[in-house]
Amino acid sequence: MEIPYEVTPRRDTGLYNAKLGVWLFLASEVMLFGGLFSAYVFLRLGVQDGVDNPWPWGVSVHKSFVWLGAINTVVLIASSVGVVFAWVSLKERNWRRYQIWMYFVVACAVVFMCLKMVEYNSKLNHHHGVKLIDNSVMEGVILDKTDQVRFDGEKITFSLQAALPAVLKDLDSKEFPAFTVTDGPEGAVGTELKTAAAFRSWFHDNRRAFSQALAEDRKRYRGEIASGVANPKPVSVKGTATVTASAPFALHGSPRKIVGHNETSLNYRDGVKVEGKLVADHVVFEVHEVDMQLVLPQKQRESVVWNVINDDAAKQSFFTQQTQKYQEMLAYYEKRGEVVPEKMLRGRFLNVHYIHVAADGHAEKDKHASVHTSEPVLTAGSIGGEGEHGPSRHLEIPRDQIKFMGNHGPRYGNYYAIYFTMTALHGLHVIGGALVLLFFVVFGKKLYLKNPEHLANRVEVGGLFWHFVDLIWIFLFPIMYLL
Amino acid sequence: MAEATHDYSKTKKTYAKVGIALGVFTCITVALGLFPPLDVGPPGPTPGDFVIGLAVATTKASLVALIFMHLNHERGLIYKLLLFTCLFAFGLLVLTIFADMDPIVEQYDTFESTGGWLTNDRPR
Amino acid sequence: MSSAAEHTHAETHGEGDHHEHYEPFWKKYIFSTDHKVIGLQYGFTSLVFLAFGFFLMMVMRWSIAYPDRAVPLLADWPWFQAWLDDGGKVTGDLYNMFGAMHGTIMVFLGIVPLAFGAFGNYVTPLQIGAPDMAFPRLNMASYWLYLLGGALMFVSFFLPSGAAKAGWTNYSPLATTTDLHYGDLFWTGQTQWLVGMALLITSSLLGAVNFICTIINLRCRGMTWMRLPFFVWAMLVTGFLLLLAFPPLEVAAIMQLMDRLAGTSFFVPTGLNVSGMSFDAAGGGSPLLYQHLFWFLAHPEVYVLILPALAIVAEIIPCNTRKPLWGYKTMVYAVMVLGFLAFIVWAHHMYITGMGPAISTFFQTTTVLISVPSVILITSLLISMWGGSIRFNVPMLFATAFIPMFGIGGLTGLPLAFSLPDLHLHDTYYVIGHFHYVVAPGTIFGLFAGIYHWFPKITGRMMSTRLGHLHFWPSLIFMNGIFAPMFFQGMAGFHRRAFDGGKAYEQISNQVFAEPNSFMANLAELLHVIPADAPLRMIDLNIVTSGSAWLLAVFQVPFIINLFISVFIGKKVTSDNPWDATTLEWATPTPPPHGNFLVEPVAYRGAYEYSVPGAPRDFSPQFESDPSSVGAAVPGPGETSANPSGSH
Repeated sequence: MEIPYEVTPRRDTGLYNAKLGVWLFLASEVMLFGGLFSAYVFLRLGVQDGVDNPWPWGVSVHKSFVWLGAINTVVLIASSVGVVFAWVSLKERNWRRYQIWMYFVVACAVVFMCLKMVEYNSKLNHHHGVKLIDNSVMEGVILDKTDQVRFDGEKITFSLQAALPAVLKDLDSKEFPAFTVTDGPEGAVGTELKTAAAFRSWFHDNRRAFSQALAEDRKRYRGEIASGVANPKPVSVKGTATVTASAPFALHGSPRKIVGHNETSLNYRDGVKVEGKLVADHVVFEVHEVDMQLVLPQKQRESVVWNVINDDAAKQSFFTQQTQKYQEMLAYYEKRGEVVPEKMLRGRFLNVHYIHVAADGHAEKDKHASVHTSEPVLTAGSIGGEGEHGPSRHLEIPRDQIKFMGNHGPRYGNYYAIYFTMTALHGLHVIGGALVLLFFVVFGKKLYLKNPEHLANRVEVGGLFWHFVDLIWIFLFPIMYLL
Repeated sequence: MAEATHDYSKTKKTYAKVGIALGVFTCITVALGLFPPLDVGPPGPTPGDFVIGLAVATTKASLVALIFMHLNHERGLIYKLLLFTCLFAFGLLVLTIFADMDPIVEQYDTFESTGGWLTNDRPR
Repeated sequence: MSSAAEHTHAETHGEGDHHEHYEPFWKKYIFSTDHKVIGLQYGFTSLVFLAFGFFLMMVMRWSIAYPDRAVPLLADWPWFQAWLDDGGKVTGDLYNMFGAMHGTIMVFLGIVPLAFGAFGNYVTPLQIGAPDMAFPRLNMASYWLYLLGGALMFVSFFLPSGAAKAGWTNYSPLATTTDLHYGDLFWTGQTQWLVGMALLITSSLLGAVNFICTIINLRCRGMTWMRLPFFVWAMLVTGFLLLLAFPPLEVAAIMQLMDRLAGTSFFVPTGLNVSGMSFDAAGGGSPLLYQHLFWFLAHPEVYVLILPALAIVAEIIPCNTRKPLWGYKTMVYAVMVLGFLAFIVWAHHMYITGMGPAISTFFQTTTVLISVPSVILITSLLISMWGGSIRFNVPMLFATAFIPMFGIGGLTGLPLAFSLPDLHLHDTYYVIGHFHYVVAPGTIFGLFAGIYHWFPKITGRMMSTRLGHLHFWPSLIFMNGIFAPMFFQGMAGFHRRAFDGGKAYEQISNQVFAEPNSFMANLAELLHVIPADAPLRMIDLNIVTSGSAWLLAVFQVPFIINLFISVFIGKKVTSDNPWDATTLEWATPTPPPHGNFLVEPVAYRGAYEYSVPGAPRDFSPQFESDPSSVGAAVPGPGETSANPSGSH
């Protein structure tokens, strides 16, 4: 059985199947990226001044990586040119040149993805931010994974109804402490659990036993209700257990897994409670920039991070610049004879963005907003405490002063979220397209010898997809990196 | 094996020219992005810069679509398909935003409720 | 008929393909690329999911009707142990889970695959005279992605978190924050719902591309646009709805997945508090954005549910009234307008979100406009029956029942199209009644009609008429028994998510529906729903509804028996065209072999030429040339023109 119009176009529609199919597919892709672009516009226009995180300017986020984005654009354009030339080579029945162009295209895709990796790596691993409870923001690096809670645990209390406690995953990689069951179902107390495997099998056995006991007790309870017993004994099966370690074990709890903690206990998201002693609960942060966009100007001089900066001249200069910007803006609208838009009079539009902090703790010169000073600008040491290390840009921040922190990954704000989502989805398209094109060149010879027109059609169809991927990037580059 | 019958040298020249044009437009995009011509107030683009930037991007996209994707001599069926697709995508964008911009009650303005900051306590 | 199939195989294949006869079982029936086998796979899987979704609903109905009593039969099942309370009663968590999954399974895993995947796959290529779909392997991939997505959804019930619980709409931020306390976030029901949905969407996209491409490019000679059976038109429009409306939901699913797994805040507003604790996210997102993206799909999805069923009915009615389909062209244009308007009505699901008067006026207008093509379609079907001598066989019974049921569903939707009544009725049982009338007695009756109608073509045997009647009449009664009371309850203010059936809201639930000793109250008393001389309260209707639901389940048994038994012992058909129908699928051998047609089919006329004056029989099939003008107008290959080049 043969499907008609696989190679030759149908007369009345003028299209062969695959071409029609790929255009239909591209139409759905238009809707896919259309939905994402809609989300981008919706989220960006929906930012409420003074409430939500301000939408950053692409250039100020990417800094030197703007050039990587530009290079990537050129790379993709070159690959698009490569695809059309490969297609022409096939039409001219020149297999050798076809091969060269196709490998060129695939090489372009590899270069594109490598540059993307460099970008992602920098954002995910080398840039962090901390938002304090008064909404001032510090950009820099969290040192030594100090965003994790450091804790010495002794006792773990967990439910036998739930899954294996998540805390075990934090333990597995380290020396497993020998546990003794100190509380739990009858018969289990006193059991010694020396290895992770022993713990696991003990847990599963007891979970099964618990659910069986519960089932039986509930059956009894329902039976008593059904037979009309006046005060049926309520169901009670012990469903929790506690294990105690022979020696304290060190825990580095990820903040995403822990919902609350104090000096003596740590509550995991899955309901498991660890008792012991809190070792350290502050974040060591290397400050690169101080950002007060979200702090109302009349409150800026009371903000925590402002007090950390001990350079009065720098502060004065900051406000001078802010006032100057305000005057410039007024002058701009006066010259044009327009009323100043209300939103320009408030929130982030009047704030000078950043104070940059140099490696030696000095304010750094910046193109747009700078504090010119030769004095150290940061008080050494910790927020709300005495300094220990002398002038540097390292700060110790107590956790209760922090509203939100993290790397510049998707979590960091809606700009980052949509940036990562869209570029990653685009990256997946690049990988998929490159694999298909690679397939056409590596395994295409047989088809070429049999029916070169069929291969040309395939390359045309694959090329259509590839151009579409290029087309998406043409829009992504300005809106994510520049505007 | 069927031999090529068509002369593609002219087509190849067009493709090369379009490739170069796209490169030039990329430079323009970068320049416009780094130094937004209509910059007011804080550093960064204004709506006018957006229009310019997206206009350049649209030009580039049209070049790719028309020349590389052969839309300049495609079948009517494809045009109709793309027309409706773009219409629906546009509807999704515009109606969604319009629905958000037209609330039945004024949204509670947190900024105003804090008293605004352009009061006597203006930054010095 | 199997000998005919063998015969075809030998004829349509070259000698080189001869080894295909010995295809192993797994290749022929499991990893098959034949559109008919894939259609049957879709059909079988979706029927299983429909039954499963029905089961979930029956458990929910118990909780609504008897919130104080233990669930019968199920309380000792190990899985239910974890979700029922000590006394064996349904918990809120279980109700939420079953409610969310009932909707999801019925819509995405049951009806769409049955209507579009099964019927579309089996019938469309046959009706346009194509040997197969345009991309057979894509077709197979589409089925397997669907199965994988369905399997993930099913497996999620057995995860520690249970399946998704945030409603079939999965609104953020509820869906984003549900089950976040589980250690492994990926393996929670809420996350698996999103992953499963992404797979289902991909499957639908592949299917839609394939269908549209097949219909546009693989029509046989002479099959012009206006000779296409209405079913094919409906499939084309449905394909476009799936193709263009599904991607925004995929966007929403990806973004919600990011919210759950990567901690982004696309749909999480600033300052969100969950259980009294500040939610750990950057904020700045918009829950409304999710609703827009969701309903941009979910409204067209309604037409994806209804159009195939309507089109099946449009095939069956002319065949059994022996009259042409009335207003064929009008119906075609109506279905196209319907498809277009379906994309710009979605926010009528969101009046309660605080949209302003300007934008809600727009959506009210488009919503009312879309009722025009719907009414054209249903009226044309009605007029098609006017004055015919109707053959009331089982498919025709279901097809005729479809029309008033769909009509009730459609007309009760009108109050919901206007924002003012919608504010009162939103999320009440009125809404449930409305869309279930469209989908359950509407679409499902249409699909039953299709199964009874095409069963002889698929198996070569007829389904039992007696069992068919035993299936139809009780189904009709109990469908109405389920959904009619919902309108009254909804207008009284019953909320759809109350797992105790509204018992906690005394003022609403104690409203009197019928005075003591009135006809309805006496009837209810007779059925032991209420004690003697008591008024029939709104809350008592819960029992009527639930009882009807369980009885409906009982009367699906004849159908299941009929379906399986008839394959082996049903009456054998005596011709390839047992209903004396006109469309091309009846030109194939029974059952159709791989490759479908013995000789290349040609369409000589429109799809519904019944009782043509002067014709020898009361039907003139598309595939038979006019005896008076043999060989006069045979179009050339790739031609669809009615007057092909070269003739005259």
